[in-house]
Amino acid sequence: MKKGNKYGTHRVIEPKGVLPQPANRIDNNMDEIYDNEILINVKTLNIDSASFTQIEEQAGGDEKKIAEIMLDIVAKQGKHRNPVTGSGGMLLGVVEKIGDALVGKTDLKVGDKIATLVSLSLTPLRIDKIKDIRKDIDQVDIDGKAILFESGIYAKIPEDMPENLALSALDVAGAPAQTAKLVKPGDTVLIIGAGGKSGMLCCYEAKKRAGVTGKVIGLCHSEKSTKRLQELGFCDYVFSADATQPVPVLEKIEELTNGQMCDVTINNVNITDTEMTSILCTKDTGVVYFFSMATSFTKAALGAEGVGSDVTMIVGNGYTRGHAEITLQLLRESEKLRKVFTELYA
Amino acid sequence: MKKGCKYGTHRVIEPKGTLPQPALKVDNTMSIYDNELLIDVTTLNIDSASFTQIKKACKGDIEKMEEMIFSIVEERGKMQNPVTGSGGMLIGKVKEIGPNFPDKSLKIGDKIATLVSLSLTPLKISRIKNINFDNDQVDVEAQAILFESGIYAVLPDDIPEKLALAVLDVAGAPAQTERLVKKGNTVCIIGGGGKSGVLCSYQAMKNAGPTGKVIVVEYSKENAQRIQDLNLATHVIVADATNVMEVYNKVMEITNGEGCDVTINNVNVPSTEMTSILVTKDDGLVYFFSMATSFSKAALGAEGVGKDINLIVGNGYARGHAELSLNIIRESETVKELFSKLYV
Repeated sequence: MKKGNKYGTHRVIEPKGVLPQPANRIDNNMDEIYDNEILINVKTLNIDSASFTQIEEQAGGDEKKIAEIMLDIVAKQGKHRNPVTGSGGMLLGVVEKIGDALVGKTDLKVGDKIATLVSLSLTPLRIDKIKDIRKDIDQVDIDGKAILFESGIYAKIPEDMPENLALSALDVAGAPAQTAKLVKPGDTVLIIGAGGKSGMLCCYEAKKRAGVTGKVIGLCHSEKSTKRLQELGFCDYVFSADATQPVPVLEKIEELTNGQMCDVTINNVNITDTEMTSILCTKDTGVVYFFSMATSFTKAALGAEGVGSDVTMIVGNGYTRGHAEITLQLLRESEKLRKVFTELYA
Repeated sequence: MKKGCKYGTHRVIEPKGTLPQPALKVDNTMSIYDNELLIDVTTLNIDSASFTQIKKACKGDIEKMEEMIFSIVEERGKMQNPVTGSGGMLIGKVKEIGPNFPDKSLKIGDKIATLVSLSLTPLKISRIKNINFDNDQVDVEAQAILFESGIYAVLPDDIPEKLALAVLDVAGAPAQTERLVKKGNTVCIIGGGGKSGVLCSYQAMKNAGPTGKVIVVEYSKENAQRIQDLNLATHVIVADATNVMEVYNKVMEITNGEGCDVTINNVNVPSTEMTSILVTKDDGLVYFFSMATSFSKAALGAEGVGKDINLIVGNGYARGHAELSLNIIRESETVKELFSKLYV
C-alpha cells in the first residue's frame, strides 16, 4: 500500500503544492487506497445549503439538470466542490476499507456507518449513479465511493436516532458548538437566518447559554419559518425581515434592545449581502460570527471599517472539538428540536 | 441643507436599502448634507490589492491606468475596484463642514486623512496629476465626501504628510496586533516584509518580548533581508506563501513542531489561507488582514484539516489605531527611516 500524506496532498493533481480543498482537481481513483486513508461506500450526500441553492437555481429546479451539474462537477474536479460558492457539504456511508497505517489507530471498523464531518469540497468522490434527489432537504442518494484522509474528521452514526436525522444535524454541527463557546450569561444575541437548520440549533443553544437575564432575537425570512420558530419558543423575540436590507433591520434591533444593540450576532443565512446588517446590529465591542458560506470577506472587512465599528468578526469554523457530540446531544435533550428536525429534514 | 443619514445611505443610488460600501453606485454630487464633510483631495492611496489588479489589467501603462481609475469613479461615484472590491484612503483639506457633523474641533483648512475606505467614499476626480508605482499613490485634483460615521485623522505636524498617510493606510494592522499578541507568544507574520507587515512585526516583537518568537514569511529576498537587518523578527523565512507545505515544514522546524499562537496574514495574493491555518496551533488564532482572503477557503480549510482555531476577519478600524501607528513612527527610528525611504 502506498504511503499517504496526513492532509491528503498525495491526491492533489493540480495545482501542485496546494492542499486538497483549494485544489482544482484531485485524484478520485478508488481502485487502490493509500495506507492512511479510509474508503467509504457512500449512500447519501448532504450538499451544503449555499451550494445546493446555487445548483438548483442554475438548473431551474429541474432534477435531471441538477444531476447533470453534480456529475459534471465531480468529473472535472474529482470532488463535489461547487465552483460558484466554493462550498461542499458532507456524506453518509459505510466503511469499506481501512488503510494499513490506521489499523489500531482509528476506532473505526469495516462496516461502521459514519458521517464525514470534513467538507465535500476536499473529499475524493466518485459517483456511479444518482438515485434520488431530495430538494427540500438538500440530500442526494447515490451509488459511489469516497476517501477520508487521516486528518479528516467523522462521526459514527448513533444507534438511538434515525440516520437522516443525525446527518442533518451533524452537517451544521459547528454552529451550535461555536454558539456554546461565544454566548455568555446575560448576553443579547441576534441570530440571522434563525429559522433554518443551523439557525434553530443556534437559537436553542444561545438561549441555554444566555439564560433568563439574556435575550435571544431570531431573524427569519419567510412567514412560515418565523411562525415555526415562534412556536418552538427558544427565542425571546422572533421577527421576519429581509436580512440584505440593513437599514430596516437596524431600526428594528434598536427598538428591541433600547438602542444597546447585540453582544453576539450569528449569521446563518445562505444568501449574499447580509454582512452589513450583521455588523450594524452588533455593539461596537461585540462579536459577529459568520457561518454563512455566502459571506464576502471584503464586504465584511471594509464594511466594519466603513462605519467605524470596532466589532470582532469571526470566520465560521465548521470544526471545533466535540462538535458532533454537542450537536447530537441537543437533539436528545430537546424533544421540540428532535420533532422539528424529524419533520423537516429526516 | 438636506438632512443626511449617519451611515450615508442618503447617497446610495442603487441598489436601494444598502449602505454606501456594498452599493454599486453612490451619488457623488459635491454639495453637502447637514452631517457631511467636503474635502479637497490631493492624494489617493489606493489599496494594494486594488492597485496591483489595475496595474496588471493595464499592463503597467500609465495612461490606461488613468482611464481605468476615471471610469471606475465615473461608473460607481467612488473608487471601489470592481474586481477586488477594495478601496484605499485619501488625503486632503477640509473645505466645508456640515452644521451637524459631530466633531466640532475640526476647522476648515485642516489637513486630514480619511480612514474609511475609498470603497464607500463619494469621490469626483477632475484631474489625475501623477501615478506613483512605488507607493500605490495617485495625486489628483478631486473632491470627496465624508459621512458622519466616517473616521479620519488630522495629520500631525511632526510627521511628513506622505509618511503619515502611508502609515495611517494600514493603521488597523499594528493596532490589532497590539491586542492579540501576548508576552511569550510565537507569532507568524505572513507577508511580513510589506507595509502593514513591517508595522505588525514591530508591534509583535514589542508585545511578545524576549521570551517570544516572531517569524516572518516573506516572498521577496530583498524585503526578507531588510527585516533581518532591521531586527524586526526573530526568524525570517523566504518562501512563496501559497506553497503551503514548504512554509508549514519550515515553521514547524523553527517551533519544534508546535506551530504558532497567533498568525497574521498581510499578503496581497490569493490562496494563502491554508498556509495560515496549518502553521497555527490548535486553539490559536489567525488574523486575516489580506483583502485577497477568500471566506470559504478559510472556513472550509480549517474544517477540512480538523483544526480548532479562531479565524478573524481583519477589521481596518480599531479604537485608537491612528495614534498607535503614528506612535510607532515616533518611537522607532528604524521604521521611520524605512518608511521614509520606501513609501514617501
